[in-house]
Amino acid sequence: MDVSQLKIRQLREMLDKKQISAAELADEYIKRIKKYDEKLESYITVTEEIAKEQAKTAQERINAGSASALTGIPIAVKDNICTEGVKTTCASRMLENFVPPYNATVMEKLNSENIVMLGKTSMDEFAMGGSTQTSAFAKTKNPYDLNRVPGGSSGGSAACVSAGLAPAALGSDTGGSIRQPAAFCGVTGLKPTYGRVSRYGLVAFASSLDQIGPIARDAHDCALVLNAIAGCDSRDGTSSRVAVEDFTAKIGMPVKGMKIAVPKEFYAEGIDSVVRDSVLSAAQKYKDMGAEIVECSMPSLKYAVAAYYLISSAEASSNLSRYDGIKYGHRSSKGDSYGELVCNSRSEGFGEEVKRRILLGNYALSSGYYDAYYGKAMALKQKIRAEYEEIFKICDVILTPTAPSVAYGINENITDPVKMYQADICTVTVNIASLPAISTTCGYDAKGMPIGMSIIGKHFDEATIIQVADAFEKNFEAVPPKMV
Amino acid sequence: MDLDMISYLAKLSKLNFTEEELKKAAADMTSIIDIMDTIKEVDVVYNPLADNKNMYLKDLREDIAKDSMETEKILQNAKHSDNCFVVPKVVE
Repeated sequence: MDVSQLKIRQLREMLDKKQISAAELADEYIKRIKKYDEKLESYITVTEEIAKEQAKTAQERINAGSASALTGIPIAVKDNICTEGVKTTCASRMLENFVPPYNATVMEKLNSENIVMLGKTSMDEFAMGGSTQTSAFAKTKNPYDLNRVPGGSSGGSAACVSAGLAPAALGSDTGGSIRQPAAFCGVTGLKPTYGRVSRYGLVAFASSLDQIGPIARDAHDCALVLNAIAGCDSRDGTSSRVAVEDFTAKIGMPVKGMKIAVPKEFYAEGIDSVVRDSVLSAAQKYKDMGAEIVECSMPSLKYAVAAYYLISSAEASSNLSRYDGIKYGHRSSKGDSYGELVCNSRSEGFGEEVKRRILLGNYALSSGYYDAYYGKAMALKQKIRAEYEEIFKICDVILTPTAPSVAYGINENITDPVKMYQADICTVTVNIASLPAISTTCGYDAKGMPIGMSIIGKHFDEATIIQVADAFEKNFEAVPPKMV
Repeated sequence: MDLDMISYLAKLSKLNFTEEELKKAAADMTSIIDIMDTIKEVDVVYNPLADNKNMYLKDLREDIAKDSMETEKILQNAKHSDNCFVVPKVVE
């Protein structure tokens, strides 16, 4: 049976109708992982035995007639989400042997639905990057072209869904890390509103920006996963008490009469023409469906990358100060004093990009530079939020490209940090403003590489962006990668 | 960015670099700071009160002591002895 392109809803039906058992389904995916992942390198750890055990329990629940939407559904998990008893490496030598003694809240929630965990997916080290090439263990490839990057930092999650090595996966998004790899790999990725999903058990990068979300084959499947993981959590003081709705509720409702904003700065110089044309062509399709396209402006976009890197690196330098080689994580064999041991452990454990962000963060926070950099970046954060609020006074959603280009070649950009950072221009403002956004495929370039567009919504209005993405997907013919 | 500054940042960051690595880090940071400097041209001031408007202190959970994680679990990823983390000798 070819499960590679099946969606969660189809798998649900097959499981409920006993056309396949949870164990057989898990086995199909494990077989595919064994067949394709040596080349793709999307997983760091494959949890075959756990999957078999969980499939048994899921089947009992299905047989009892009490299955929920995700019971028995195989899911992959980004390797910065804590899984009790299963290594959580963050793709870093620093956490190479770290086995969490507890589950992240999202894992508790998914386990209570009796999902089947297939494994832990690769990522940029500590989620810092947009290519998955800074991973210390698995430099994931793009399923559409193995010579190109899958995007990042949730590149493993996006690539494994794209290649049919999982029907859905969890990712995390600090500056675009769910949406950009989803765009590069031709799948759908949803970054929820900040606070919608508990961050308890997500290895911290930039705590004011980080958010866990789903990557799946379409917006409807993303909504099903979000339904399972959303909600307030007493262990995360930043999780929101806003009521969790059914995120599938608006699916199928017409977009006629809806106002879709198109901020001109997102379509300006620096965005490849093939991407611009494809997203604008999608805007035209929405217009054909009866939506109104509203041209608008976000003047502060040109400062967004700087503001994002200053804030996120400042937070990262603080968050990563916990890695001292003492309590957990890599411990150097060298160092006679406490100070030496800490320095040696950190220097051996962290990769180049992580060190660069720590240096930048400490620079932005250091005496004499704080006001000019961190203080100014925080002021810009407020300005960018205000500009979004202005747009949302007259529009329902905002449409932008997800990335300035399609997936680029392996080793391009990675040696040039400036080029790498500037590629985040289309996604970082969403995190700065704590908004929800979804990326879905809107076209392919001449070489068949996917192009992603993002639909940005108002705070806690995930249901509407899912509705808008779904309306497009229903009229779009997705082309799976050839390797599957 | 000069070598003195990058060495100072390395010290703050508790990271060791070789001379070669320091030179490369200084060059990288110089180009990165060039982008960061673009924000200097914007005339905006941070308003700390605006960022706290969504914080509701009444929503804090009750301060009730609960069982914490077992010591064994806390120590499982560390070098430990007698239920304590092991560190190099700190006091002579």
